[in-house]
Amino acid sequence: MQEKEKVTGTPVSRIDGILKVTGKADYSTDHPVKNVAYAVLFKSTIAAGRIKDIDTAAAEKSPGVLSVITYKNAPKLNLKGGIRGGSMLQSPDVEFFGQHIGLVVAETFEQARHAADLIVVDYEKKEAKTDFEKLHQQGAKPKDKEDEKRGDVKAALDSAEFKVEETYATPIYHHHPLEPHATIAEWQGENVILYNSSQIINGAQNAAASTLNLKPENVRIISPYIGGGFGSKGGQWGNLVLAAVAAKMVNRPVKLALTRQQMVNSVGLRQRNYQKVALSATKDGKLASLSHEITTHSAIKEEFVEPCGDCSKVMYDVPNLLISYRVVAMNMILPTYTRGPGKSTGSFALESAMDELAFKLNMDPIQLRIKNEPERDPSNGKPWSSRTTVQCLQEGAKAFGWEKRKAQPRQNQLGNELIGYGVACGTYPAHQRPSSAIVKLKRDGEDVTATIELAAADLGTGTYTILAQTAADSLDLPIDKIIVKIGDSDLPPAAGAVGSVGATSYANVVNDACIKITDELIARSGKQFFTRPTAAQLMVSEKVDNIQTRADSKPPENAEDYSSHSFNANFAEVRVNISTGMVKVSRFLAVTGAGKILNPKTARSQIIGGNVWGIGMALTEESVVDPRWGNFVTRSLGDYHVPANLDIGTMEAIFIREEDKFGNKLGVKGIGEVGIVGVAAAVANAVFNATGKRVRELPITPDKLL
Amino acid sequence: MEENESPQLTKDEKKLFEDLMPEDLNEILVHGVNRRHFLKLMTLAGGGMLAWQSAVAEQVLTRPFSALTSSDFSPANIENGVNLSFKVNGAAKKLMVDSRMTLLDTLRERLELTGSKKGCDHGQCGACTVIVDGRRVLSCLTLAASCEGRSVKTIEGIAQGNELHPIQSAFIKHDGFQCGFCTPGQICSAVAVMDEAKNGEVSCVTEDVRQTASPIKLSNEEISERMSGNLCRCGAYPNIVAAIQEVHSGKEVAQTWEFRG
Amino acid sequence: MRPFKYTNAKDVTAAAKMLAANPDAKFLAGGTNLLDLMKEDVEQPNELIDITRLALADIKLISSGTNKGGTSIGGLGKNTAAANHPLIRQNYPLLTQAILAGASGQIRNMATNGGNLLQRTRCSYFFDVAMPCNKREPGSGCGAMEGINRMHAIFGWSEKCVAVYPSDMAVALAALDAVVKVRNASGQERTILLADFHRLPGDTPEKDTNLSHGEIITAIELPKNNFADKSYYLKVRDRASYAFALVSVAAALEMNGNKIAQARIAMGGVAHKPWRAFQAEKMLVGKEATEANFRLAAEAEMADAKPLEHNKFKVELGNRSIVLALQMAINGGKS
Ligand SMILES: Cc1cc2nc3c(=O)[nH]c(=O)nc-3n(C[C@H](O)[C@H](O)[C@H](O)COP(=O)(O)OP(=O)(O)OC[C@H]3O[C@@H](n4cnc5c(N)ncnc54)[C@H](O)[C@@H]3O)c2cc1C
Ligand code: FES
Ligand code: FES
Repeated sequence: MQEKEKVTGTPVSRIDGILKVTGKADYSTDHPVKNVAYAVLFKSTIAAGRIKDIDTAAAEKSPGVLSVITYKNAPKLNLKGGIRGGSMLQSPDVEFFGQHIGLVVAETFEQARHAADLIVVDYEKKEAKTDFEKLHQQGAKPKDKEDEKRGDVKAALDSAEFKVEETYATPIYHHHPLEPHATIAEWQGENVILYNSSQIINGAQNAAASTLNLKPENVRIISPYIGGGFGSKGGQWGNLVLAAVAAKMVNRPVKLALTRQQMVNSVGLRQRNYQKVALSATKDGKLASLSHEITTHSAIKEEFVEPCGDCSKVMYDVPNLLISYRVVAMNMILPTYTRGPGKSTGSFALESAMDELAFKLNMDPIQLRIKNEPERDPSNGKPWSSRTTVQCLQEGAKAFGWEKRKAQPRQNQLGNELIGYGVACGTYPAHQRPSSAIVKLKRDGEDVTATIELAAADLGTGTYTILAQTAADSLDLPIDKIIVKIGDSDLPPAAGAVGSVGATSYANVVNDACIKITDELIARSGKQFFTRPTAAQLMVSEKVDNIQTRADSKPPENAEDYSSHSFNANFAEVRVNISTGMVKVSRFLAVTGAGKILNPKTARSQIIGGNVWGIGMALTEESVVDPRWGNFVTRSLGDYHVPANLDIGTMEAIFIREEDKFGNKLGVKGIGEVGIVGVAAAVANAVFNATGKRVRELPITPDKLL
Repeated sequence: MEENESPQLTKDEKKLFEDLMPEDLNEILVHGVNRRHFLKLMTLAGGGMLAWQSAVAEQVLTRPFSALTSSDFSPANIENGVNLSFKVNGAAKKLMVDSRMTLLDTLRERLELTGSKKGCDHGQCGACTVIVDGRRVLSCLTLAASCEGRSVKTIEGIAQGNELHPIQSAFIKHDGFQCGFCTPGQICSAVAVMDEAKNGEVSCVTEDVRQTASPIKLSNEEISERMSGNLCRCGAYPNIVAAIQEVHSGKEVAQTWEFRG
Repeated sequence: MRPFKYTNAKDVTAAAKMLAANPDAKFLAGGTNLLDLMKEDVEQPNELIDITRLALADIKLISSGTNKGGTSIGGLGKNTAAANHPLIRQNYPLLTQAILAGASGQIRNMATNGGNLLQRTRCSYFFDVAMPCNKREPGSGCGAMEGINRMHAIFGWSEKCVAVYPSDMAVALAALDAVVKVRNASGQERTILLADFHRLPGDTPEKDTNLSHGEIITAIELPKNNFADKSYYLKVRDRASYAFALVSVAAALEMNGNKIAQARIAMGGVAHKPWRAFQAEKMLVGKEATEANFRLAAEAEMADAKPLEHNKFKVELGNRSIVLALQMAINGGKS
């Protein structure tokens, strides 16, 4: 048998593609559970206070209603079980507008929805903290974040020749995965099955179990397909356990789906940030100081602060540094991880400021960045496991035609449009997390097939496919002989598909399992081999019918000696209508150095997806609160504008060939998040180059360019 | 097909489902194989991914499966019931629906056609797009009751048996999706867009709407505009456009990624 | 969504009778606005009379009467069909553009011409039953007046309501001097000038239009005109497609040599109804079609605008949009 060509690194089409294009991939509410009842949530219409009384009589009498569940009759749950954001009907207290205050369970969805409209609530209102514009000055140090200082920023700034001191603001953003969060809960005796989209299968299992006062083995999460998550399906929220509670109470399986309007205050958000950035530099562009002061908000009882200063810590070689966070508790849903948490918003501030500095210095913004490229990770002095920022910038400039950019704004006009070019860099840390996997081999004559099993998640990231590729190469089998089973907590525990650790952790453990099973086959043969045979060869030569093994993998021991990140450079060309201020990103190029690319087709999709998110951040997306009530006035996809097809122009992706020998065995770095980092700044910088207007408050809607 | 009481699965069959459709196994063991499982299995088998199980698959495919859930749905729970008969993917359907029930919920909750997705339920995302009497519409804003006598095509009816529609194949080739949740709507929409172009229908970005109607060759911008009623939060737009352009123009569209350095 | 009876009307007069007989009944046309609002519990009809199968979809030349030589569009025809009909594309490209600038392909396939005229405001306080809104619940107050009003009116609003009317199609129809034909329960027809069809909010913002309960829109009539060569619909919005207008302008010009013989300008996104820019139109007649004249006309029209806290930009945007739309119109759609 000859060794076949490697499939890892080649553009294999998604192996789950066929199910997705025929409508047969099952998302949460698609699982055909029999005899389901339907639950609909109802929510508070005040931001702070308590429920004096809740009149459920009309709802209970409404046809088809099986149960109305409120704090009055809900079972006691463990509020410290790991479910985020409270909202589990444990008390009459209200902490934010749109908190879940009950649910109606009925025979049909129509009946449940109608009955929920019949609930009457009497509140005792308290003064609510809903106005960030007024409250932001009261920010306090977050519990989990210390100020970071290096050198003396103030002295450097005071004596600097060139400086930029500006505040950048980003609005609240919502994840709005196209699949709203939904659960089908089905009890079987003491055990409950939760069909529920989860980026972290074991995390969801543990949180649900602990909150419901069960053991993890009593809870099974089934989540083979996830209709997008972007962080909102990483942690789990009240709706998951409420589905289980409802199913128990009506003694039937229950389907509970959030409506799109309910999404805005049920499953987290990306918080609004004010970011004050001060840069100073010598006249030849060497950075002297960088300070990045972040003010944001969190919920009343829980705290989550996205790390907007992370990019500033590692991007540039700068002797004097200050990063600080301040946070105010507000009557609002708990913020949470959102694609490129901290880095996407933080890089908007940092990379806009760099562009402003370059303009002041009359220096090409690419040169300014190269000038300040750090040799080692400036935050901890560790060597990079690999870093190709400079190549990203240089290759990108060539491919994009950067030389056509005019240094002065408003110099490039075509008809009624101003054209501008912008650049910005980004980074995201790369980690491998402990994971386990089972590989099973089966032989039928000469025909060998493999099944890979682990509780991994695929939220569109391509997990199924890259694992089949990894196993095919490692075992020496054709890819169509590999079956990948993921998305089920009954499988060996694995890392979550969050923070760009998924591909790295999963591919490494599957590779380890495949090597291990090959080792075991060699050992079982009792033979000495001159060249190492493959598992496929051994199965046939040794006539093994069935064999399985499990690997438990951890990051390499010396991984901590290195600083491991993915890096990129983003190039945007925008066209701005002079009369109307409408902006179109006509061309966008992301050049990424992210270690080994397991599948360029799905990797490109991930990068482009991140870029589209960044364009949405920059131009169209914004969640607006009416501080009088603390409600979102942008509560639908009609009001919250995620980019539409026509918003997106030509998108290109280039990967820098990178061999990363230190981060993990396979040299994979992860690309899910880095694709969004730096994008909004590249667009905003291009808008400045086109129009001469520096917009420091996103999104750049037409009104801001008049 | 005939109704069948929870058929006992052979060991091989059980293994087959365990391997291919683990998420459905539990349900199959309790309730038997139903139409949905059958369709899914057919797709998997038809996709050629799973040559080795095909003997077992065939065995399952030729067996009758248990009836639709709609039959165990009690009309007692229906308010303002409306008798509805219409066609879905070519098959006649007769059922009584609550007057409030949308076409989307009817497909998903009563007819076991869960391919059409509910992304917003308010006409703002396009995930529920289906084709009614030849035109793409939003099933979340269509009352089932108003579909009397109409012919509905859903994502489950786009392929011809085991043969994918060219748009479906092009979506796979060009990776026109990530999570796949918007995909059924995108594909139904794309299939209809091809007909709209053939009919010479114009769009908001058509340069001269006054020209007389004749088949239109769609630019990428035209495709983007016409597909803008289908949001994709994963941002697969360029790939969606490439897939549609390839089928529409009949010319291969290059896939653009590059390695450097 | 409240329970309701689903009924079918066998002909147009029967439909009007059924509606007149039940004050809580509504017609179901495309349903794209009505069902949306019923799911939000904003609309609460107890009966839906399905009128989609009535024979009111024709588009034809008008052979007699005041609008002879014009074109009649059936009230229950679909938006897509109206936009693509050869009579409309040839003679009223402005209407084609306006329809196609609205919503999405799927929605336009469902939406009817009559339903489009009657679509309700997209004001988010109107849509959210947890918020006060005089239009939804007279007397409850206006959430937007002191609230988030970036999308709201700059012309013609009242203390009771600052909502804007969202249709694109109607803006073009207003510019084209269209006439709405309606029939009542006794089979009588009347016509209403489109410019008078929608109301300003005044003290009764709950009333969007001058249509009475029990009347059905049978057709929209477009008078013959000479604007087809020089017209343009401009829509400014927060995203490139599938979004409502911040400001839109329907502009149409008829030239006499190098002088403007007739001008029609209507605006969307600025008022509780399609806003005819009569002042600007008047100023343009007899003038040359220059940018300077366009600017003067636009400024005169926008001088009366009364913006709210968050929509001051609409004044400048309106100004520029009128100028750009007129330029595009004069150049036959090119900038
Ligand atoms: C997400 C989204 C985006 C949209 N974007 C836009 C946009 O950008 N621009 C735009 O202009 N529009 C937009 N629309 C609105 C859309 O155009 C309207 O919903 C549609 O035109 C309404 O027509 P319909 O036939 O569906 O009306 P329906 O919802 O059926 O009816 C609306 C009202 O009119 C009454 N009615 C209907 N027909 C008649 C008749 N013949 N006689 C008397 N009464 C009647 C009904 O009883 C009901 O009260 C959008 C809609 C959605 C959901
Ligand atoms: S679910 Fe129908 S448009 Fe979103
Ligand atoms: S593929 Fe995820 S929304 Fe389109």
